[in-house]
Amino acid sequence: MKEKTMKHYLDLVPISAKQHRKQNWMTRLCIVLAVFLVTVIFSMADMEMRSQMVQAIQSDGKWHAGFLMDDEQTALLAARPEVERTARYGVLNYHLEEGYQIEGIETGICGFDRELLELFPAAEIVEGVFPENKDEAVINESANSRLGTGIGDTITLVTPQGDTMQYRITGIAKETALTARYDACVIFLNAEGFRQIYTGDTGEAKEMVTFAAFRSFCNIQKSIQEISAQFNLEPDEVRQNAKVLMLMFQSRDPYMMGFYLVAAVLAALVMIAGILMITSSMNSNIARRTEFFGMMRCLGATGKQVIRFVRKEALSWCKSAIPAGVLSGMAVTWILCGMLRFLSPGFFEGMPAFGISFLGIAAGVVMGFATVLLAARTPARRAAGVSPLTAVSGNAGTVQAAKKAANTRVFRVDTALGVHHAIGSKKNFFLVSGSFAFSIILFLSFGATIDFMHHAITPLRPSAPDFYVGSGDTSNSLPAELVEQISESAYVKRAFGRSSMTFELLAGGEGISGEEMILTVISYDEQQFKWAGDDLLEGNFRDALDGKGMLLAFREDGMLPVGSSIAVPCGENSREVPVAGVLGSVPFSYGTDKSTGSREGIAICSESLFRELFGDAGYAVIDIQFQSGVTDAQVQELRRMIEERCREEDCEGGIVFSDRRIENRESKGASYSLGVFLYGFLTVIALIAFFNILNCIAMSVSARMREYGAMRAVGMTVRQIVRMVWGETITYTFFGVLFGCLAGLPLNRLLFQTLVTERWGDAWELPGKEFLVILIVIGCSAVLAVRGPAKRIREMTVVDTIGAD
Amino acid sequence: MNILKVENLRKVYGSGEARVEALKNVSFSMRRGEFGAVVGASGSGKSTLLNCIGGLDEADLGRVLISDRDIFAMGENERTIFRRQNIGFIFQSFHLIQELNVEQNIIFPLLLDYRKPDKAQVEEILEVLGLENRRKHLPGQLSGGQQQRVAIGRALITRPALVLADEPTGNLDSQSSQDVMDLLCKASRHYQQTVLMITHNMNLTSAADRVFRVTDGVLEELGSKVEN
Repeated sequence: MKEKTMKHYLDLVPISAKQHRKQNWMTRLCIVLAVFLVTVIFSMADMEMRSQMVQAIQSDGKWHAGFLMDDEQTALLAARPEVERTARYGVLNYHLEEGYQIEGIETGICGFDRELLELFPAAEIVEGVFPENKDEAVINESANSRLGTGIGDTITLVTPQGDTMQYRITGIAKETALTARYDACVIFLNAEGFRQIYTGDTGEAKEMVTFAAFRSFCNIQKSIQEISAQFNLEPDEVRQNAKVLMLMFQSRDPYMMGFYLVAAVLAALVMIAGILMITSSMNSNIARRTEFFGMMRCLGATGKQVIRFVRKEALSWCKSAIPAGVLSGMAVTWILCGMLRFLSPGFFEGMPAFGISFLGIAAGVVMGFATVLLAARTPARRAAGVSPLTAVSGNAGTVQAAKKAANTRVFRVDTALGVHHAIGSKKNFFLVSGSFAFSIILFLSFGATIDFMHHAITPLRPSAPDFYVGSGDTSNSLPAELVEQISESAYVKRAFGRSSMTFELLAGGEGISGEEMILTVISYDEQQFKWAGDDLLEGNFRDALDGKGMLLAFREDGMLPVGSSIAVPCGENSREVPVAGVLGSVPFSYGTDKSTGSREGIAICSESLFRELFGDAGYAVIDIQFQSGVTDAQVQELRRMIEERCREEDCEGGIVFSDRRIENRESKGASYSLGVFLYGFLTVIALIAFFNILNCIAMSVSARMREYGAMRAVGMTVRQIVRMVWGETITYTFFGVLFGCLAGLPLNRLLFQTLVTERWGDAWELPGKEFLVILIVIGCSAVLAVRGPAKRIREMTVVDTIGAD
Repeated sequence: MNILKVENLRKVYGSGEARVEALKNVSFSMRRGEFGAVVGASGSGKSTLLNCIGGLDEADLGRVLISDRDIFAMGENERTIFRRQNIGFIFQSFHLIQELNVEQNIIFPLLLDYRKPDKAQVEEILEVLGLENRRKHLPGQLSGGQQQRVAIGRALITRPALVLADEPTGNLDSQSSQDVMDLLCKASRHYQQTVLMITHNMNLTSAADRVFRVTDGVLEELGSKVEN
């Protein structure tokens, strides 16, 4: 192959790169790792923000502010230049208890402008059109199928005052988590139709809320202030879509400001970690070639030319290392997004599978280039300052000359030299142990966000039902055989019933502090007992399962001790039932009865014991979990079957349904999304710590190979050299951990207080688990970091090594 | 008594067209206290010979016996320990340990044995080398000649039977070179150590008892002051 002719002294850069391929590869790897770290964390943060935005828009809509105002004010608001879209919205019978009914079913009534559909993507008309006239309505999917209506049919709404209103159905609205949960019948009218329902008798407020979405790059808080002032609105007449505004960095809420501060601190930490990694690597790479640069000076290169040489070399590393770091960062982000789509396909379908985060890419590229150029400056100056004499004297070591002798009195000479290699050069010592420390600081800092996640998002319990059937009056009137019948459906994964009975524990009896207590006894089947097993704080789980006692739900203000007994009223008499154990939490709410002030308690017992005590064989509640992929039609079919069966059995008090599928999906989506990204961050940080330690030690060893060769020549054994490398690694690790803890723990405390204490009041505790994990990662990395170089040292030929002058 | 015995030493580098026979059946021996000088052109095989004798490199054929022990029959670890206890090395580039001061560099082979150095012996060596006032200095604070003197001190501290010096004056001015030669002569005459030195400078061979020349891997003895 024809050799390329050198036309410029800088053409030496690629030739020199070929000669120093291995060392350059390590520096490149360091740049790749740093760029990867920054790209992946910023991309993931960006994607998480997008995912949160998808969720926020789904659950809360994409409006920015809502104002309680009349139509004239709404028109003025819409005319403001920064307002992109406005829509009026009003709701009647929100709690489904005011007596607005269609065919005897309590009905919620929403009225809004067509534009609202743009602001609430969840409020989607899946079939038909928006009601144009005041006597037209859209109805929600489940109500439509319950009423057996269709587009074009007429429905009659009866108001609490006895008036009737007729509406022609023009469309079917998609079910939302809220309507499904309360099995609500909801009709949607246009604003004109909604206003028509009001009469002087209703006594309802006539105002509708006007939702507004602002244009991009608008200072929303400032606009809200101006709008409030313009229309003399009180603070309680203005609402803000807090989550969406937070994600747009437009919130001024003090908690959110704290949140932004946390994000800024974490972003800065990630940047600093990247900068440290690159700087330490460049420093070591250039320092190792002092002699080469001295030789260049000797041959007539000026200081400036050497600086240019070093800079060009650094940029040539960037050419391949930065794209590699950015691409690998993007790949990891894609994997995480893919995971989200896989875990919660319906919820995250809006997330792009191969989304590109320009923020992540820009952060990676800018940090990479800027750091490489800045980091190249000092070594370049040092290289330029090498005296030609140093180069020709043959005494320009591959490593910096020591300023202080190693202490061979405390440690053996091999260990002492290792320790000295680590601490000999202060700058190098702080760069390397600093980069180790930064892994710990990052890990501990992001660890605080995991605590935040555990507080902010309650993961779905394994017992959470997709569909819930309850007796209308909470009596145990649902036939027990219904559970078996439901379970037989191919799309039902599991169905389980619960009976319940509430009675008063009398004062002076076994109650606490002589107070009365309202106790609800709930029956569990074997599967429910299994789920509850994880929450057992004390006592014997088996006794409760076998019907020999009850489990009590924990109350902070005191409760019956395990081993004592509860007097359960059985007809005329009462029966003593022992307390077998205490459960830390149960999936039912209890506390203090608001009307009587009595304390409430929950006791769990087996189905057999429940029947012995109360005689009831039926259930008050049946929970159903579906197989994945169940369709709405199948759920409706099941619902019809249950309704029919209950009619046959003449269930007193009627039945209520609650479809929790959408809610569960949202809840799962939120916990998956945050979990995937936060644990993803921690994994990336742990990986970076691992590779950084490996690379640092490998670079340090490779910089000293000639020195090791000389030591081998004068009689140092391989084992002694490996011990020396151990000494160096342990020193870096020890001080890295020390510095990491000194800075990381206060930072963890600060972030915990900002994210958790301020909101939930929990006191900060030492993050033992996170600390242990990162210590294990660093310890394992240190062990592995010595293994590679130890192998190289074993295979090293002394003659070649010392002869490489 | 023969301290060093080299028998039919052969070393080949590379293969095919790049094959170079660096040593061709080299045989010779040296007695206790003898001072030998090896001369030859660049690439003639001088350094290969010295590296093989010192156990830094392995020969393809032949034996090297030092104090009647075959160094190629030893394992890697055993050979390293044997080297630090029985052979002193002096290099053209000194190869001092930058993190150790003069005194620590000199006693380094003893420290590797985890032995406590004999104070009197260290003082004696420092005095002989003329480095008493520099004992706490780091290599970077010394001149080339001083550094080479430290390297000589390191080679002599274990009182090795054999001292191997590879161009010990190559990086030094004439005065320093003379100092180094005087020290090597003293090691040979005063301490009865066998010294084998490689040099380009024919003038320096005048101090040697025996002079060898290596030409294309073949060793021949040019002359001797003592009867074998």
